[in-house]
Amino acid sequence: MEVTLNINGEKKTVDLDPDMPLLWAIRDFVGLTGTKFGCGIGQCGACTVLIDGQPIRSCTLPVSAVSGAITTIEGLSENNDHPVQQAWIEAQVPQCGYCQSGQILNAVALLEQNPNPSDEDIHQAMDGVLCRCGTYPRIRKAIKIARQ
Amino acid sequence: MKTKINRRKFVQLSAASSLFLAVGCVPKGDQEGEVVNVSSLPSTELNQFIKIDREGKVTLMNHRPEMGQGTYQAIPMILAEELEVDINRITIEQSPANSERYGRQMVVGSHSIQNEYDKLRKMGAAAKAMLLSAAADRWQMDPADCTARNGQVTNTQNKETLHYGELVEAAAQMDAPADPKLKDPKDFKIIGQPIPRADIPLKTNGQAEFGIDKSVPGMLYASIERSPVFLGKVAEIDDSEALKVPGVKQVLKTSREVFGRTRQGVAVLADTYWAAYKGRQALKVTWDQQGLEANTSASIMEDYRKASAKNDDVQFEKGNADRAFSSSELLTATYEMPYQAHVPMEPMNAIVHVEKDKAAFWGSTQNPNGIRSFLAEKLNMSPENVAINYTFMGGGFGRRSLTDIAEEAADLSQQSGVPVKVIWTREDDQTQGPFRACSLNILKGALDEEGQLKALEHKVVCQEIRNQTGNNNTSIGQMTGGINTEYGVPNMAVKAVVQKHYVPISYWRAVYHSTNPFAHESFIDEMATKAGKDPLAFRLAMMQDHPRFRRVLEEARKIANWDASRSLDQGRGIAIAERSGAHFAMVVDVSRDNQKIKIDKITTILDLGTCVNPDTVKAQTEGSIVMGLSATLAGLTIENGAVVEQNFDSYPLLKISQCPEIETHILPSDAKPDGAGESGLPTVAPALANAIYDLTGQRIRKLPLSLELGKTDIG
Repeated sequence: MEVTLNINGEKKTVDLDPDMPLLWAIRDFVGLTGTKFGCGIGQCGACTVLIDGQPIRSCTLPVSAVSGAITTIEGLSENNDHPVQQAWIEAQVPQCGYCQSGQILNAVALLEQNPNPSDEDIHQAMDGVLCRCGTYPRIRKAIKIARQ
Repeated sequence: MKTKINRRKFVQLSAASSLFLAVGCVPKGDQEGEVVNVSSLPSTELNQFIKIDREGKVTLMNHRPEMGQGTYQAIPMILAEELEVDINRITIEQSPANSERYGRQMVVGSHSIQNEYDKLRKMGAAAKAMLLSAAADRWQMDPADCTARNGQVTNTQNKETLHYGELVEAAAQMDAPADPKLKDPKDFKIIGQPIPRADIPLKTNGQAEFGIDKSVPGMLYASIERSPVFLGKVAEIDDSEALKVPGVKQVLKTSREVFGRTRQGVAVLADTYWAAYKGRQALKVTWDQQGLEANTSASIMEDYRKASAKNDDVQFEKGNADRAFSSSELLTATYEMPYQAHVPMEPMNAIVHVEKDKAAFWGSTQNPNGIRSFLAEKLNMSPENVAINYTFMGGGFGRRSLTDIAEEAADLSQQSGVPVKVIWTREDDQTQGPFRACSLNILKGALDEEGQLKALEHKVVCQEIRNQTGNNNTSIGQMTGGINTEYGVPNMAVKAVVQKHYVPISYWRAVYHSTNPFAHESFIDEMATKAGKDPLAFRLAMMQDHPRFRRVLEEARKIANWDASRSLDQGRGIAIAERSGAHFAMVVDVSRDNQKIKIDKITTILDLGTCVNPDTVKAQTEGSIVMGLSATLAGLTIENGAVVEQNFDSYPLLKISQCPEIETHILPSDAKPDGAGESGLPTVAPALANAIYDLTGQRIRKLPLSLELGKTDIG
């Protein structure tokens, strides 16, 4: 079926299986690979995108059920200069980097709703995004840099 | 969140932007190491690591795959230091896979910096010497009267300068000195500095390219159904429903070899990943489980216990432990650790295209040259006809040092005649292994009249990675890694009992240093308690003749406030270890928080010789601690011959809310660099268990442990 996705401010029409999770539509049909496959069951957060500003696990959301404006990591800023991206660079967060699109987008959503989060708020908002490299201490630091 | 940029942030932003410009772009990982260089001019090569264009723009090669360990930045830092160029004005290029030009490129065992440091310094210094000779020629003077700094050569007599770009073509004609003069470490300007990593900006905007992001024209995706019981063989395939799924093209039997055993699978090939995955769900495969479905974690451990009495190989011996034991009161303790999966966040994947006389691989690998020689042999081709295109890895931890995924993709490409991209599911990754081995450790100890440890025996019962099949049960020595034989104990024996088992195992971050030190350092603590001594002082007394362990223990006492008093609701534990040459002490502080144990802080004191990039070393230590904590708090279990935990919902990785405060101190040193990628992992479990003992009076001898009070299994 034909689906029109509103993604990073552009309309993209793709012809695909309506069951296909949004993740694979974004990666294999729209061609944006910054959104990552991690677990396929919404447990790791690597596939997070923003839909109307809300962090959504795109690996479990069928593309036919999507409505709203999608922001992926590629659409967060033109020049890698969103305050959260800058904070991530300043705190030297990524190691392998694979989960970081999901980490950053979850942090963006957190800071939009709560510009001054405590450690508890950070833990609550970020607990569903796993990092095997163990960048958590720096994620905490970066969110605090970005909230300033 | 402010959008207005304050001054501090502006400085950061400018630095990051210039860094980003300097990097130029993502390494494309192509056969030719194609990178869109900032330099638009042709560059002249001074050696395989260094090229410079005539405007003086410098490109430095990183020849090691990057999986998060940060050598992407550290390798060029070493080159830049000796070459005398500004680290923020260079371009980093990922080298092609070419062991003839670059030597070993595999990234395992925290080897990259410690093994390559001298070579890279010489490469930088030799290129600098050639540039100096070219300048001296130009000025008709002695090279000793020229100095190189910041990408240019200065004539010390008249202060005239030439930048490297003006000299590079002449320099390339000079003979490279075999033994160039290296800088005095006290003059280092780059090595030892926390230089920001050039790959990091690529990892904040989705630009970094991983194996799973690659695609090639005409490729099909494959999702492969596998036997839950590891060595299951395909008995029957019903692919009628699978082939009805739109997009599914073929169903093919495939296999891969893992440490001498063949593992079968049934692959669904389709034009999208989703169609392949759906097709796989519709596939009906009957497996012949080879009678292995009776195995459980408990039965495996029972086999280990039975085996422990026999066949031991003595790996290390000092004095006579048996004689010392016979005249003393003994303490014995048995420690158990479960299997662990690697689970890098990027699921396993590979693209291979096999053609008549050539083949190509695209993917994330710790071992690009290993994949090349493996494919060349499998396909009966010359290695020059196997192109290896490697990318950033979304984590490796040892799992990506193997060739099995490339083997599946090559087999399916050969059968189908098109390029095939294999993507494993998380469930495949977590349940199929190969795993970090489970382990049984049996320790015996005895004290002398002064309460000093006079005899210690450590016996490891475990599978051995390089000896998984066949009838030879001799240990090749690796299995007792991480057992600290540096303790000044007069009678000591280290023994190995090699177990053969059908569960596949492999290298996992820190390898046997991820298991044996839990038993060793927990037992040292038990002996300290038996002697009525302070655990740190007990260790220190046995390390008087070992300057590095003595130093980290003495520093831990000061830095981690070891002697500070603690309330009844607080506990503190210590452990020490060596891994890849690095020596470290770790102090864990815990406290009672209602019915839970809270890990308040983990302090690590590291002596790892010369530290190239202290910020990266700290990041690696943080990562090792987080991975070590995950493996302390969760593990895999085997039931019905297969792994029970299928995905992250049942095999929880540490979450940010569980991550304690981590403090890492690197002790200054001019010694050669040691490995930094696993420091801290070996000590997490024992230091935490020892802290829990300090808090609760309960010894923990079995992992995973629970942080809920009253639920810890004391073994």
